[in-house]
Amino acid sequence: MPLLELNGITKLFGKLAALEDIDLNVEEGEILGIVGPNGSGKTTLINVISGYYRPTMGTIYFNSKKISGLRPDQIAAKGIVRTFQSNVLFEGATVLESMLIGSLLRYKTTDWQAFFETKAYRKDNEEVVGRVIELLKTFNIFNDIFLPAAGLSHGYQRMLGITLALIANPKVLLLDEPTTGMNHEEAMFVVENIKKIGEQGVTVILIEHNMKVILNVATRVVVLNFGNKIAEGKPEDVMNKSEVIEAYLGTETI
Amino acid sequence: MPYFDYKTWIPRIVIGVLIAIFVILPVFTTSVITLSIFISSGIWTIAVMGFTLVLRTGQFSMGQAAFMALGAYASAILTVNLGMPFWPSFLLSGIISGIIALIIGLIVLRVGGIYFSIITLAFGELVRIFAQEAEGITRGVRGIIPPTPPTISLLGFDINFAAGNPVPYYYFMIILVAITAIIFWRIEHSRIGGTFASLALNQTLAEHQGIHLMKYRVIAFTIAGVFTGFAGAFYANFLSIITPFMFGLWQSIQIMMMSVVGGISSIVGGALIGATILYTLGIYLSRLPIYNIQYVVFGTVVVLVLLFLPKGTGLVDLWGKFWRKVFREPDEYEIPEESEMAVE
Repeated sequence: MPLLELNGITKLFGKLAALEDIDLNVEEGEILGIVGPNGSGKTTLINVISGYYRPTMGTIYFNSKKISGLRPDQIAAKGIVRTFQSNVLFEGATVLESMLIGSLLRYKTTDWQAFFETKAYRKDNEEVVGRVIELLKTFNIFNDIFLPAAGLSHGYQRMLGITLALIANPKVLLLDEPTTGMNHEEAMFVVENIKKIGEQGVTVILIEHNMKVILNVATRVVVLNFGNKIAEGKPEDVMNKSEVIEAYLGTETI
Repeated sequence: MPYFDYKTWIPRIVIGVLIAIFVILPVFTTSVITLSIFISSGIWTIAVMGFTLVLRTGQFSMGQAAFMALGAYASAILTVNLGMPFWPSFLLSGIISGIIALIIGLIVLRVGGIYFSIITLAFGELVRIFAQEAEGITRGVRGIIPPTPPTISLLGFDINFAAGNPVPYYYFMIILVAITAIIFWRIEHSRIGGTFASLALNQTLAEHQGIHLMKYRVIAFTIAGVFTGFAGAFYANFLSIITPFMFGLWQSIQIMMMSVVGGISSIVGGALIGATILYTLGIYLSRLPIYNIQYVVFGTVVVLVLLFLPKGTGLVDLWGKFWRKVFREPDEYEIPEESEMAVE
């Protein structure tokens, strides 16, 4: 029984098929890498799963319940949380504020309880703040919590993006190129953390250009090209397939 | 804290003294003009708080005065045409205004943004035109004269809402503004305030963090509708007349201007400062022999505030700036441009 099941997902922009009849099963606890050249539909796939786009055709099941057609917030509430390819921030908020206003899904208490600041809310709030601080410490941005998020360096903004996704209590984490714009050490730091997230039982779907990252962290890889799935399997095997090399480097014409 | 934290307590004490002065103002003066200016300022403060709350969710309402009209007409029609006593009709006025805000919100806030502004603009005019044309219900341009609130006997005193005695209305205003301010303050500083802000800061990210856009936009708009309705009902009773011209497009624009001039960085503080200053200014300017000079001055004030106090900080931000100057503290939230983190 796969945790996340994509059946014949097609996404058309006008007549252009960004995704064409994609079938994909994601098992619980795996770290699935999605690779492919620019414009192959990787980000569209994440946008479709997270509800940012509705698929033109096909259905998505999560825990064998249909989620395609739901709003992004409903999908996030079910436990599928994403990060963004470009740094999407709460403009003008500090790092801590961003985390606190992004952590609504962590709270068990209602807005009424929060308004009247009941005992239950205060206990709940303490737990959430504790978790926020813990996450910020894990991702090395705890020292900058009072800085505006927009003032962080690119790499740290990406880390903030990942912590924001993690505070929303994900069962499936969709990471859209988490290491772009990072140097080698920072990228490896993120890789280690993705591994840790995976070990905590969170299923991860990871889009990445950096092959080192994919080979290092993914348990399975799917290759997309022009909106089609052209290969699937263990990272080492997939990387040596002729279609994949072709898609990345072009055809041999000698 | 083991020591007296003067940096937070001195500003608080100053605010406390200012509030106390406002509360006992009728002891010093019973001048109808002075008290009337403060009563009207208080009414506009409530409307501005509603507008700013909606603005906090990233939505720009251009028809807030319509909810004052709804509250005013609801209370007047309930008492005059249907013979309901004053207090229940007053309570119902806010609820009716809120229900209409809820309905409008459910229809329009699905898309939000510029469409919301346009529809609220149209709605504002629709309410005014309806009030003007539906003579059977609203008596059209002749207006309705709402009955004065009944005399309340409290601790042996008779609180008499007779015309020409603004003191009871003044205290009614103080209580109404205080209740609204406390509720809006709690909203702003509790979790739901952060949720509202997230919608304005980044709608897409907020949605992917599990925040239901529609729901929170509608909540903010409905709360604003309820309290703006109360303000309108009270205004009508205070002026003892309701006409369609009291709550038109200009009044909606005036609410926006008050919000901008006061500043949106604090809902309650910005509304109090913006409404009081602009309303008082408007009254004194309209007594000058130059026709409509107040519109020119209002426009100039808005431009000056936007030039020198941008990003919605408004006049309320000067309060914080003043105390930071006094205590020789650096301004908050300055991005250190040359720091390691910012450049790298």
